[in-house]
Amino acid sequence: MHRKATFTHLAIFILPALLLICVFVFYPCLRTISLSFFSEGKFSLHNYYEVLKSRDTINLEGFSKGFPLGTLLHNLLWITIHLPLTIFLGLFLAVYLKNVKGGSIIKSIIFLGMVMPMITGGVLIRFIFDKNIGIVNEFLKLFGFIPKTWTAYPETALFSLIFGSVWLWAGFSMILYSAGLETIPKDLYEAAQIDGASSMKMFFKITIPLLKPITIVVVTMTLLWELKIFDIVYVATMGGPGSASNVLALQMYTYAFKALNFGKSSVVAVFLAVIALAVSIPMARSAGERR
Amino acid sequence: MFKKFTLILVLSVLLISLVSVFGFAEKLTLIGPWAGAEQAGFMPVLEAFTEKTGIDVEYKVYRFEDLVTMLPAQFAAKKTPGDVIFMSGTEWMVKNAKHLADLSDVINEGDFVPGTLVSKVDGKLLAGTFTGKIKPGFWYSKSFFSKNGLTVPQTWDELVTLLQKIKMIPGIEAPIASGDGTGWPLSDVTEHFLVSFGGPDLQKDLIAGNIKWESNIVKGVFEKLVFLLKSGYFSEPAEWTTILKQWEKGEYALYFMGSWITGMVGNPDDLGVFSLPGCEGMVFGPDYFNVPIYSKNIEDTKKLAAFLSGKEGQTVSASLGGHIATNLGVPVEVYPTVDRGVAELLKGVQSLPDLDDTVGGEFQPAFWDQLKLLWVKPNRLDDVLKVLDEKMP
Repeated sequence: MHRKATFTHLAIFILPALLLICVFVFYPCLRTISLSFFSEGKFSLHNYYEVLKSRDTINLEGFSKGFPLGTLLHNLLWITIHLPLTIFLGLFLAVYLKNVKGGSIIKSIIFLGMVMPMITGGVLIRFIFDKNIGIVNEFLKLFGFIPKTWTAYPETALFSLIFGSVWLWAGFSMILYSAGLETIPKDLYEAAQIDGASSMKMFFKITIPLLKPITIVVVTMTLLWELKIFDIVYVATMGGPGSASNVLALQMYTYAFKALNFGKSSVVAVFLAVIALAVSIPMARSAGERR
Repeated sequence: MFKKFTLILVLSVLLISLVSVFGFAEKLTLIGPWAGAEQAGFMPVLEAFTEKTGIDVEYKVYRFEDLVTMLPAQFAAKKTPGDVIFMSGTEWMVKNAKHLADLSDVINEGDFVPGTLVSKVDGKLLAGTFTGKIKPGFWYSKSFFSKNGLTVPQTWDELVTLLQKIKMIPGIEAPIASGDGTGWPLSDVTEHFLVSFGGPDLQKDLIAGNIKWESNIVKGVFEKLVFLLKSGYFSEPAEWTTILKQWEKGEYALYFMGSWITGMVGNPDDLGVFSLPGCEGMVFGPDYFNVPIYSKNIEDTKKLAAFLSGKEGQTVSASLGGHIATNLGVPVEVYPTVDRGVAELLKGVQSLPDLDDTVGGEFQPAFWDQLKLLWVKPNRLDDVLKVLDEKMP
């Protein structure tokens, strides 16, 4: 009787959520996968072939002629540059501001970048690198640089977006690392000090290893953000000039809502989902280890 | 207590259902791209329609970019967010033809400026045209020209000489301001080059896909543009309203823009405009609207469609300024002075459809984007033309 009641209760609690997940997660996922395999009503790999051979996705000519290199490589560049920058900056800020008077206020200000809608962030990036009103040019003018709109040139557009968005995301890693630092027992540092360990040694032998679970979360979430980056690119450069700052998510949008080719758009969505799943595995595994 | 609550709930649901079925049945919804001052300028047209027919119309603002993401799902569910929807792009219309009503019974093709009604698919008229905007050429300040002893060029050589002279004027950033945003101001000036140096038929052939972007004739036209770009006569692309203000201040001498510029400057009487030498065509971008077949009141909606494309609706719009009628029945006298001058510009030249608006689809953003590349890297012309060919439907 008791077991039956428990089962009924479980069903009542789980079913609504399960139903919603089925309708809004599982069905769209399966439908997207199925769409990616259909071209002109026939089951085939044609869409995959089209997307992979397209210069929109990988453009090897770009290595000799200059940007664009293709959305896949652009996303890889985002990850290669943006990921370490935000993580190290976040960690540095968390450690540095831990014992600074008024540190929490400074952290709150830095975290505003995360709170702000990314669309607004994109508009700000556009202005920051503008020739006439951009703060970057005002600064560079002090060193004799000729001002230019950095987002308007193929060789600098993508890098402007990547570097320009570091401040938007650094607050995320800083806050997580700050929380992680509070969980490290102080007696570990005291014991190390008694043993004569230097600050650097304590940082690398105590702080960094004990922050590993936080680092896994930060890396995973940042990677996912970089993979699905869309809004900043959309408003700041629209992927241009000449696709020089285009990314996978914007390519997916263009295929779907400009070319009205949902098959090719679904292929990009499947790519993104597969990469995102691969990226999420270490985090899931790490969560399992902790349990 | 529970019974009372249930009763109130049931009655409320019934009331809402009755009100939604009977209370708002006669109200039509029109979706357009205009907000702010432009919306204020459009509302009198709807008010005139309501006054004439007694049918209320609710106006909703949705940008083209929002509609392209919203409409596929709505149409798939056999629903529409609006009875009349302002959209552009032939490719969009062709792909959505089965969702759009045939308007040929309420719109007569002979009533329009030739070339402005290009919305037929399989013999069905799937879009109507409201008023439009002309893209006549390079705008300049008459006082600036007079102060610096400049004259309107009649030949290509004179144009180059003019640009050289302007470049030497102190305080000038560049002779021609390059508006940017999503990229359409650059496409407008490029189309003007194509029409002027390749002829109106080149524009039509490119739209129809009869000629390749990499062909010699197109490349020849682009080389003229590239020459000006390499010579530094065009500025770096900058947000089009920001650079408009700089142009007004005299930091740039010329600005290629559509006729709507007359409503955006402080002193429209000081405005002058000239086309490129030898130009025989002019892009006239009408505002196209569609009627989805899922409209709940298709008969009233068609009345609205007829009004918008008809003489009455367009007269109201044209008289308010900033809009040029597509309907031939609208008399020139109804225009404000500045717009009358703009409307006169169409005389003697072919009216042409906007290239990227008409082709639409994936090509349009690619066209804008590739031109942004060309503006800063004119030596990559071949790459640009290759991509444009790839992106044509």
